[in-house]
Amino acid sequence: MKRLLFALATAAGLLSTACGGGSSVQPPPPVGKYSMASLNGQYAFVTNGEVFTSGSNAPVPLARTGVFIADGKGNITGGIEDVNASGTPSNAIAITNGTYIVNADGRGALALNVGQSTLDFGITLTSTSDGLLIDETSNSNQASTGSGNFVLQKAAPFALTDVNGPYVFDFPGLDANNNPESFIGEFTVDNTGAIPTGFFDDNVNGNLTSGGMAPGSIAQDPLQLSTLSSFGRGIANIAGQNFVFYIVDSRRVRFVSTSGGMLSGDAVTQSTNVPTSTSNFNGSFAFVLAGASANGGVTRVGRFTANGATVGNVLGDTNDAGRQHPSTSFSSGTITFDSANPGRGQITFQDTSFPFAFVFYLSSASSGVIQDVTQSGPGVGIVVADGSIELQSGSPFTSANVSGTYAMNWSGLVVAGGSFPIEDEEDLLAQANVSSMTLSGAADLFQFTSATLTPQLDLGVGGVIQINGTDGTSGDGSRNGMTVNLTGANPINFVVYFVNPQLAFFANRDNSGAQRIVVGILKLQQ
Amino acid sequence: MGRDMKAAIRSYSGTLALLIILVFCISANAQQTQQAQQADTQRLHAYGVNRESFLLGTVVKFESVSSAAPIGAHLTLQTPSGQVDVHLGNAKVLQAGHLELNPGDNVRIVGEPLALGDKTYFAARIVQKGAQAVAVRNAKGYLLTSASTLTPDQKQALRGVR
Repeated sequence: MKRLLFALATAAGLLSTACGGGSSVQPPPPVGKYSMASLNGQYAFVTNGEVFTSGSNAPVPLARTGVFIADGKGNITGGIEDVNASGTPSNAIAITNGTYIVNADGRGALALNVGQSTLDFGITLTSTSDGLLIDETSNSNQASTGSGNFVLQKAAPFALTDVNGPYVFDFPGLDANNNPESFIGEFTVDNTGAIPTGFFDDNVNGNLTSGGMAPGSIAQDPLQLSTLSSFGRGIANIAGQNFVFYIVDSRRVRFVSTSGGMLSGDAVTQSTNVPTSTSNFNGSFAFVLAGASANGGVTRVGRFTANGATVGNVLGDTNDAGRQHPSTSFSSGTITFDSANPGRGQITFQDTSFPFAFVFYLSSASSGVIQDVTQSGPGVGIVVADGSIELQSGSPFTSANVSGTYAMNWSGLVVAGGSFPIEDEEDLLAQANVSSMTLSGAADLFQFTSATLTPQLDLGVGGVIQINGTDGTSGDGSRNGMTVNLTGANPINFVVYFVNPQLAFFANRDNSGAQRIVVGILKLQQ
Repeated sequence: MGRDMKAAIRSYSGTLALLIILVFCISANAQQTQQAQQADTQRLHAYGVNRESFLLGTVVKFESVSSAAPIGAHLTLQTPSGQVDVHLGNAKVLQAGHLELNPGDNVRIVGEPLALGDKTYFAARIVQKGAQAVAVRNAKGYLLTSASTLTPDQKQALRGVR
């Protein structure tokens, strides 16, 4: 019944956004290999987005991190979560029970009961061990949205010693004054839970700082001692800021801050073979970043080829507050490594005379986190943005290998609404079959631009991926295109950079219809 | 001999023509480079309160969102020196500040001209109408969100978020 009501609200909402037309694509019947049994075990989840509370007239940023336990039969048997709403934390909220459904295509719904409230999520499995989700909560207490994912945890019991060794982290969010912040770096945890060393790059409101961390620690939460062994939950102090963490396994730990603002993100193990100099940093990399500029929201996607200390074949696409800027002519690319901090380095390249600069921390030879450090003056960043960098492989990308069923998620800002149109959060979660580069699937969409604040469920998804597109690119992971058709909406065009046939980064590339500043991923279902 | 001279003249003329074309190209390239550098200098230009100025004018048009970048609320302001496109950022911040802008309103805008691509606009930091003033950007130029307008009580109420 709830989904039916949502569907009716969807139809009503689309009337205001379709601009006198739009796609008539319908969702296909769900087919695939998934079932209720595919979601079975204890999963650590995160979302980042916004929340409207009753009595407020505007949404505020929201980050949540937690655990839910699925029984493989449609029941949630327990869990816990910690949330941070614009710097106000609410900790160790018990998830008493709940329900879920998983359709054959891996799409489904998750309802987590927390006290008298229910939190609703749309989910799309990418395997039986992980998946993507968006917050679709809309009840009398709050409406919240945001994008995230869930990952199967190691078997309980958990212990602090599960977290040991060097980790690379990316914690974006807000500082204590609600200014944009990007905090990335690396730290080492010893077998006592101490964090004796670490190094960071921080961009708060355009102020760039970098340096060694003050000593920190991870520990049991003295107020919730049992949550460590049962859920992998504990508390941490990193660079002077307090966090709650959830252990996925020894390789991944999820954090959300409880002091000094709202930061959240994952720390992943840094491998022993991480490149430490340009001599062992070779190959083609795709990158995606998102954040803020003085103009508004900003996204950057692109790719480059590293060859020793030089950078070539750079392509990049920036969307700065709705102004798209595809760059094809780069020069003067360089890479340097920080000999004192393994895996940390800087990459620069020029677009005409505009000097892009990024700092990165590699967690392995093929993966890392990246922060924009382009400066207008000493220590002054022109944007606050960070994201991921991934080694490209499996090219050429063709209809032969970009094929199968993919989960799709995008998140960012959209302009929509009725009599008082505004810009606000948009999150989409979809599953689509890609065959001969044609998309066919279904999606949930939640835009915080409507007065009704109801997610639009089970929209049809159509469209095409354009490899070797009209901009003269090739199948090596360079800039490609994608057009997505959603029921009732005008076509939405994206630029796509393939990491491999199983994963791609994308960002929207036109504002001919609704204005958008979104980035997303395509991930093959396993 | 005569044939050789003619060839030499043709050659010289060709060289001259090529040189002129090259000089023209270099000049054009220099001009383009100069323009590109100006544009890029503007792209590299972070907001700074020390460069702020203010506009006094009359509201011609208010849009909670505009089809023109940068995304967000825009104001067309009639000033003594002409009309100016003013970017106000997130309309919800104005709404939270209970500031309504209508054609004919006299306003004072504190901010700085910024460039986005090949266009410039006036990036507002403070919008003032009569005795009412609402900040829409912080001192570093980043857009404020409705989270910035929360009162301590409203922040405390966020502890109920689940």
